[in-house]
Amino acid sequence: MNAVTSFLPYAVAAWLFGIGLYGIATSRNFIHLVGCLGVCQSATYVLLLGLGYRWGSIAPIFYDHPPGTPAVDPVMQALVLTDIVVGATLTALLLVLTIQAYKRGGSLDPEKLRPMRAGGKSGRDPGSSRVRDPERSAP
Amino acid sequence: MTAFPAALLPLPVAIPLVVCAAMLATAHVLPGRLPDILATLAALTVAVLCGVIATHAADGPLIYWFGGWEPRDGVHLGIGFSVDEASGWVAAFIGLLYALTFVFAWGFFDRTHGHFHILMLLFLAAMVGFCFTRDMFNLFVWFEVMSVAAFALTAYHLAESALAGAINFTVVNSLAGFLMLGGIGLIYAQTGTLDFEGIAAAVARGGRDPVVAGAFCLVAAALMIKGAIVPFQFWLADAHAVAPSPVSVIFSGSMVSLGLFGLAKVSAVVFGGSDQVQHALPALLVGLGSFTALLGGWMALLQRHLKRMLAFSTISHAGIMLTGLGALSVDGTGGMLVYVVGHGLVKGALFMIAGILLATQASIDEIALRGLGRGIWPAGVAMALAGLLLCGLPLGALDQGTRLVQGALAQQGHGHALAAGAIGAALTGAAVLRAAGRIFLGLGPDPGDEAGAPSEDEREKANRPLWLMLAPCCLLLALDIGLPAAVIEHALPRAASAFMHRPAVHALAEGPGWLPWASVAAALAGAGYGLFRRHLPALVVRPVSASQSAPTRALEVLHSGLIGDYAAWLAVGVAVIAAVLAMA
Repeated sequence: MNAVTSFLPYAVAAWLFGIGLYGIATSRNFIHLVGCLGVCQSATYVLLLGLGYRWGSIAPIFYDHPPGTPAVDPVMQALVLTDIVVGATLTALLLVLTIQAYKRGGSLDPEKLRPMRAGGKSGRDPGSSRVRDPERSAP
Repeated sequence: MTAFPAALLPLPVAIPLVVCAAMLATAHVLPGRLPDILATLAALTVAVLCGVIATHAADGPLIYWFGGWEPRDGVHLGIGFSVDEASGWVAAFIGLLYALTFVFAWGFFDRTHGHFHILMLLFLAAMVGFCFTRDMFNLFVWFEVMSVAAFALTAYHLAESALAGAINFTVVNSLAGFLMLGGIGLIYAQTGTLDFEGIAAAVARGGRDPVVAGAFCLVAAALMIKGAIVPFQFWLADAHAVAPSPVSVIFSGSMVSLGLFGLAKVSAVVFGGSDQVQHALPALLVGLGSFTALLGGWMALLQRHLKRMLAFSTISHAGIMLTGLGALSVDGTGGMLVYVVGHGLVKGALFMIAGILLATQASIDEIALRGLGRGIWPAGVAMALAGLLLCGLPLGALDQGTRLVQGALAQQGHGHALAAGAIGAALTGAAVLRAAGRIFLGLGPDPGDEAGAPSEDEREKANRPLWLMLAPCCLLLALDIGLPAAVIEHALPRAASAFMHRPAVHALAEGPGWLPWASVAAALAGAGYGLFRRHLPALVVRPVSASQSAPTRALEVLHSGLIGDYAAWLAVGVAVIAAVLAMA
């Protein structure tokens, strides 16, 4: 194949990672931020699938093909599948944390939810509704 | 000594996983203390097993192929565990640290149906797997399992700052995972295998190759994020300061240094044959490491929140470990391995003391705690001793590691790194000693001092007797001091050469004997200055009133707690690594 089409997946992967990182860097909403993290992760999918792709090959399933038929690299697909599982865990965990943070802080803005900043909302503010006892906080 | 059956190699990973699954299934019927006992026993078993494996690995690495997929005709298809002596001992140390942490956390998390223990055991299994694996993708999987357990444990309290810290931690370390996976994909595409040895052979054959350099850049960035190296260090202070103190013990004691352990393995073994990578490494690792040591130490000195201070101190020591790695010699890596163990023991003890203060005095703020520690003076003695060990008191394992790292740096002519490491250690020691003096002796001026640094009221449950919390802490310190120097001198040259796949060396060089004393003196002077500033003449105080200076304030502003800033710095860090690799 010509240079442009073989180079394209890597350019897309780099673009996705960059734009996702930019989104995280400028995000003012945690749910938007989790989405941007998903965009960054998609960059790794594109990269891995691009690396494992072979032109003119079948998917690595030999049910109705004779063994020896050229196939794309199944290892890369396994890596991507594993990463999808990891990604689902991470997204779920992050969204749970976001919901809990919203419940306690009343905001989804990273600017308003900083860990232990003197000027921040969660500084030494006696009025905040922080749960202090690990016992009570367990649902 | 009969040969150790290699089929038992997965046991140290399997045991915690099985116990954790069994506990998860029976969590709601297990009576009171049973999760504590089970978890402690499981961790102890892991420690003993890893120790046995390590002694058997002295003659050569033990290898186990899952499902019997051994390499044939040079083609590596299976996934393997390969344990050399050094990896085995590091895993044994981790098991022991977990066992003592479970004792420390005895009853701390009751009525939560053992969820804390389940997550911790998962965390333990991931760490041991990370030490044992010889497969890049397996390394990534353990890296991620480790991360997910750590994220959940950080947010355990579900308090506001704990959630914010956990979100920062999760986002930054997830990005690390993506970078690592991308790097692994690149190296697999280039070499056609995921096995360490297979990749190493292919890389050595390949010559200069931008794809290999790119892969190393991504994997190294990911491991440095785990290892909290500047400019990837931001997540650490947020996460360690808000996690429950038993979790902080594990974070600082083993998780951070495991990132660097992984980097040591990857750079020495997997990319050992790439001239481009090896040329770039000294500048990269020694430079970033020195910078990290200084910055972490300086930030530690500025904190009044004890756990945050200890977190920055961990950053500083991670920098020192990285400089040892950057010497690219058996001495440096061997020193770093000993340093990992020594630092884990001392830092674990210090986080336990912070937990004791949280539990008994209901505060973690150095200023608020002034003089309140008199009633629990044994903790004060332990804290002072740990502070002295941290800044380099020539005693025990941490000092051995320090001297080996310094010896390697001196040999390779990295004078700046030598100085940076000594200063970083002195700064962290000064911070701990100042806090100990203020809390346990009531020294120092009362109000307002260092008020700019973030702090927060918090407390942890006070349902444990003091001796139960103090015992594991003292045991950690005793282990650090009691680790016989002769054993290290005897076993380390062999273990470190096997770890790096280099020909065996006979003895390791040590740094100048006066340097640790200089660090201790500097730390004492720094702590004394912090405590007795008002008694000093203005002529001395005015030029050094550094905590209000512009660079210091700028540093505080940089550690903004904003995830967006951290992501931007992450991009900068990756660019720096890529640039250094491109120029090599």
